[in-house]
Amino acid sequence: MTEEELSHRMKVIQFTEEDVARLKKLSPYAREYAEPVIEEFYRHLLSFEEMRAFFPDRRTLDYVKRKQKEYFVRLTEGDYGMKYVEDRLLIGAVHEKIDLPIKTYLAMYAYYENQVASRLRAAFAGHADEAFDVFLSLIKLIRLDMILAIDAYSLRREQTIRQQEEAIRELSTPVLRIRDRLLILPIIGLIDRKRATQITAQLLTSIRNARARVIVIDITGVPVVDTDTANHLVQTVEAARLLGAQVITTGLSSEIAQTIVRLGVDLSRLNTVGDLQGGVEEAERILGYRVIRGEGGSSYLEAG
Amino acid sequence: MAAPFEKYLEPLAIEGERDIVSARERVRDAARGLGFSAVELTLLATAVSEIARNIIEYAGHGTISLRLSDSGRNPGIEVVAEDRGPGIENIELALQDGYSTRRSLGMGLPGARRLVDEFQIESTVGKGTRVILRKWKTSTKAA
Ligand SMILES: Nc1ncnc2c1ncn2[C@@H]1O[C@H](COP(=O)(O)OP(=O)(O)OP(=O)(O)O)[C@@H](O)[C@H]1O
Ligand SMILES: [Mg+2]
Repeated sequence: MTEEELSHRMKVIQFTEEDVARLKKLSPYAREYAEPVIEEFYRHLLSFEEMRAFFPDRRTLDYVKRKQKEYFVRLTEGDYGMKYVEDRLLIGAVHEKIDLPIKTYLAMYAYYENQVASRLRAAFAGHADEAFDVFLSLIKLIRLDMILAIDAYSLRREQTIRQQEEAIRELSTPVLRIRDRLLILPIIGLIDRKRATQITAQLLTSIRNARARVIVIDITGVPVVDTDTANHLVQTVEAARLLGAQVITTGLSSEIAQTIVRLGVDLSRLNTVGDLQGGVEEAERILGYRVIRGEGGSSYLEAG
Repeated sequence: MAAPFEKYLEPLAIEGERDIVSARERVRDAARGLGFSAVELTLLATAVSEIARNIIEYAGHGTISLRLSDSGRNPGIEVVAEDRGPGIENIELALQDGYSTRRSLGMGLPGARRLVDEFQIESTVGKGTRVILRKWKTSTKAA
């Protein structure tokens, strides 16, 4: 978050200098009540069994309690700038790290607000209007904190998702060695440039290691082949050829075939065979295997 | 002519490879929603892929917006791709098969043009490029 974004958000929640002044006036009360409010807060929290799991040991609990007490006082000390935001984001990250769900984190504020409201009522006895104004200012600041917490959570989430995507990418293009010198590469899903590069690199390594002579690339699972994908396919085939392997492409759907023809991309250099089964048979023929039909419909291969 | 495009979808920012995939998925979903056939879906998604990739390749970033027309007899989709990149000096040349300033296949623009029913391109050097694609559920163009 930048300085600009912060001041924009402050405007959106209508947090003004007036709010800052009101909150600062609360400072002595905050100091006085930090201890009992936070203690009670965690007592309430830990009365729920599902919450206890998140604070397994005393040290974690003591740490967050101490942080929360500091935070409680901090709410009334003014100067809600970038430093303040960074501290808040850190607290959000700590809670995310212990896997506390965001809904729980936000629900905790409800109890917190109740606690504060009843203390304010007592402290401002006979001045209900004033108490109400101060409470509103506090709510605005807490609202900002909630927004920041959600930011911190979703940022972490996005990072996690991205990491998983990377992992899936690498797992999702297995190079299968089904017979001596024969590899199958089933490609599933959307191919972007990064993935295409990965697939090519992986295939070339496998060709070397297996000393493969024929590779069947099956693209049944690829929904779109644009010029870039087609180009990559052609380049992969060329590279494989340089390593002494032939490539058979299978699984071109009729939609994709029609699209490629209209696009005008020349795939004539690709050896395409309808389906994977046909591709493997063609590969076996190239490798000189003969399929011998045995009795009862069984068949086996014989190197020729 | 077919009914006007009455439904606007929020523009999609095209800033990286990932967004090319999102753009064509979004178009595919929209076209499926209008009852486009599998072939027509694929043709349109591929055309979008081409112009989205050009945005990344030549302009760095831009937007793609969709407008749908589903009240008339022949529903359709309009795709507007815009960028504020360097623009294209010679559009006629850029539309020719095999013309590429980055030694690629040079089939993106001419190919995309063949995949859709209507194709418009406006470009000003130093200002940017706008490509408009339209496709109808029942193609108005002979295959
Ligand atoms: N959005 C754009 N901004 C600037 N120049 C563009 C843009 N789109 C296309 N061009 C220019 O038009 C040329 C032709 O584009 P086209 O998409 O047909 O081919 P390519 O991108 O070079 O290759 P391919 O798409 O086949 O990989 C490009 O090389 C580029 O110079
Ligand atoms: Mg292109």
